[in-house]
Amino acid sequence: MYDTLAALVALPGVSGRETPVREELARQLEPLCQLSVDPLGNLIAFKKGRKTPKNKILLSAHMDEVGFIITYIEENGMLRFAPVGGIDSRLAVGKRLKIGPGAVPGVIGFKAIHQQSSEERGKVPSFEELYLDIGALSRQEALEQVQLGDTAIFDTGLLPLGEDKLLGRALDNRAGCALLLELLQKDLEYDVTAAFTVMEETGCQGARTVAAQVEPDIALILETTTASDIPGVSPENQVCHLGKGPVVSFQDRGTVYDWELYRAVLKLAQEKNIPCQSKAGVYGGNESRSFQTGACGARVAALSLPCRYLHSPACMLDRRDLDSMAALLEALIPVAATL
Amino acid sequence: MELKNLLLELSAKQGTPGRETPVGEYLAGVIAPLCTSVSVTPLGSVICQLAEPKEGQPHLMLMAHMDEIGFVVTYIDDQGFLKIAGCGGIDSKLLTASAVTVHTRGGEIPGVICSIPPHLQKQGEEKTLPKVEDVFVDIGCSAQRARELVELGDPVTIASAPSPLMGDLVSGKALDDRACCAALVRAAQLVKDQPLACGVSIVFSTMEEVGSQGGKTAAYQLNPTHAIALDVSFALTPDTKPSRCGKLKEGPMIGISPILNDGMTRQLFELAAQEGIPVQTEVMGGTTGTDADVIATTRQGVKTALISIPQRYMHTPVEVVSVQDVENTARLVARYLATLGR
Repeated sequence: MYDTLAALVALPGVSGRETPVREELARQLEPLCQLSVDPLGNLIAFKKGRKTPKNKILLSAHMDEVGFIITYIEENGMLRFAPVGGIDSRLAVGKRLKIGPGAVPGVIGFKAIHQQSSEERGKVPSFEELYLDIGALSRQEALEQVQLGDTAIFDTGLLPLGEDKLLGRALDNRAGCALLLELLQKDLEYDVTAAFTVMEETGCQGARTVAAQVEPDIALILETTTASDIPGVSPENQVCHLGKGPVVSFQDRGTVYDWELYRAVLKLAQEKNIPCQSKAGVYGGNESRSFQTGACGARVAALSLPCRYLHSPACMLDRRDLDSMAALLEALIPVAATL
Repeated sequence: MELKNLLLELSAKQGTPGRETPVGEYLAGVIAPLCTSVSVTPLGSVICQLAEPKEGQPHLMLMAHMDEIGFVVTYIDDQGFLKIAGCGGIDSKLLTASAVTVHTRGGEIPGVICSIPPHLQKQGEEKTLPKVEDVFVDIGCSAQRARELVELGDPVTIASAPSPLMGDLVSGKALDDRACCAALVRAAQLVKDQPLACGVSIVFSTMEEVGSQGGKTAAYQLNPTHAIALDVSFALTPDTKPSRCGKLKEGPMIGISPILNDGMTRQLFELAAQEGIPVQTEVMGGTTGTDADVIATTRQGVKTALISIPQRYMHTPVEVVSVQDVENTARLVARYLATLGR
């Protein structure tokens, strides 16, 4: 799983520019599934199982990640940029980015603390104030390396950390992609359709068109979700915990989930002795709403890996949760097929 | 070694104030073949004798600090998270979700500064910067394992692999003041095999970022007649004013300040003009905020000049300097060495 995930995290895939990730997934799935790519760039994979289920099952994981887009180049060669997806502007200063297909290195600097007024020292810079330095001395020089509309990602990959932890960029949601990819590499009892979707971070546009094409009865969304099990956060606000298994949602800001399916996931985990936790709080949202309300509607469940520091250059997962989620998913398909 | 590679390697070394041994040993190794002797002071500064001091001749001390700003571990909580304190002037804009390296007795271990992602933030939270004293470092370990691996007092730095940018620019942490350490190594290369009339001691000083304790004591030990401190200074960026900055790639900045010696300063300008080395002028009304301040007031007082390499984004993990500016700084210093005492 680590190698699968590391290979996917290594690829850039800011919303709308998911091609490198899609091509890698397609390369690996080509011998195993019937593949198609839709006009928006979603990769849809049909995997034949030993049986055709009563319920048509869709598993979905988004390929895209949050990042940046180059919006303007100053006369002096500095690049202006905007966030793609929800990025906290507080985490920009001092970071390194890789820009465009050429992975041009750039840095987000800020005037030295010595030159900041006391007011500036305490103020969060907005993205409009910030600029990206690639070392170009003029607009013309910058244009030799980058163009407007190029996307940029934080210059971080994946590394093991501490006991059982992984630290890296874009774990939201390459972790979901890696789990789905490995599931499709197994011999499955029931037919499933898998979707690797685009543009979740900018409004779930990819999921909507997948819903219309696949028309599933049951949609299982593989995601990452915010764990806030860190110092200074009271227990009722921690949402979920690393190492305590996949997180199942009953409600978030976008979706009230299918109660029967939610209960079935928890019961299954208990029976199989797989660690699993409920998402303790109504926060965030994902593609579930698009599948729930797409076509004639589907019954939806979200299974997420608990992840700290989501949407940052250094997100943290627990390997044990990846293993638990893989086991739970495999066991869940027969349950969902006959629910 | 090519100057650009030297800058990249120096940037990668650990050397927070008081814990400069890794960068000190590296610099001693690089410069040893160019010196008659290398020694270490009680406070860890590295002294490299380029030319032994001679009776009746000037003795010039060249100093660049090798320490970098960083953090220190102050506490390990019951969940294995580390509390830290700043070591040097830290901008709290750098904290949120930064990957860090904890430098332990068993080696480097990765970590990340804890933060709450946008999904869970309370309204207005995104407008508030975290303070160093409020953040924790997550190393992904239980308290027991964290306490086995990490000691209180271990240095922590923001993880940032140095990299070249376009042209001759280099970006990395600790280029304040490793850029000047590199310039001094390069100057030593330039004067190799040249007979020098003066004594020359190169000092890579410690603890400049917390008060120049290393530079002060090394100056006392060497008791030079002349000194040049080398540090970085502000290069123009879109968020600063030309009146408060030099410019990248326009050459070393020669300092003018009440604490600095006018004669030496004038001579540096003259030598630069003779050699065709581009230079910029940096005027400071009082002291300089560099090792020059403590050198000038050592013992009976030392005639001191200041040369600064222009740098963007000082005290961030992405400081930027131009290799050409570093080379021109080395040329200017080498020219001064060849002249002093003649």
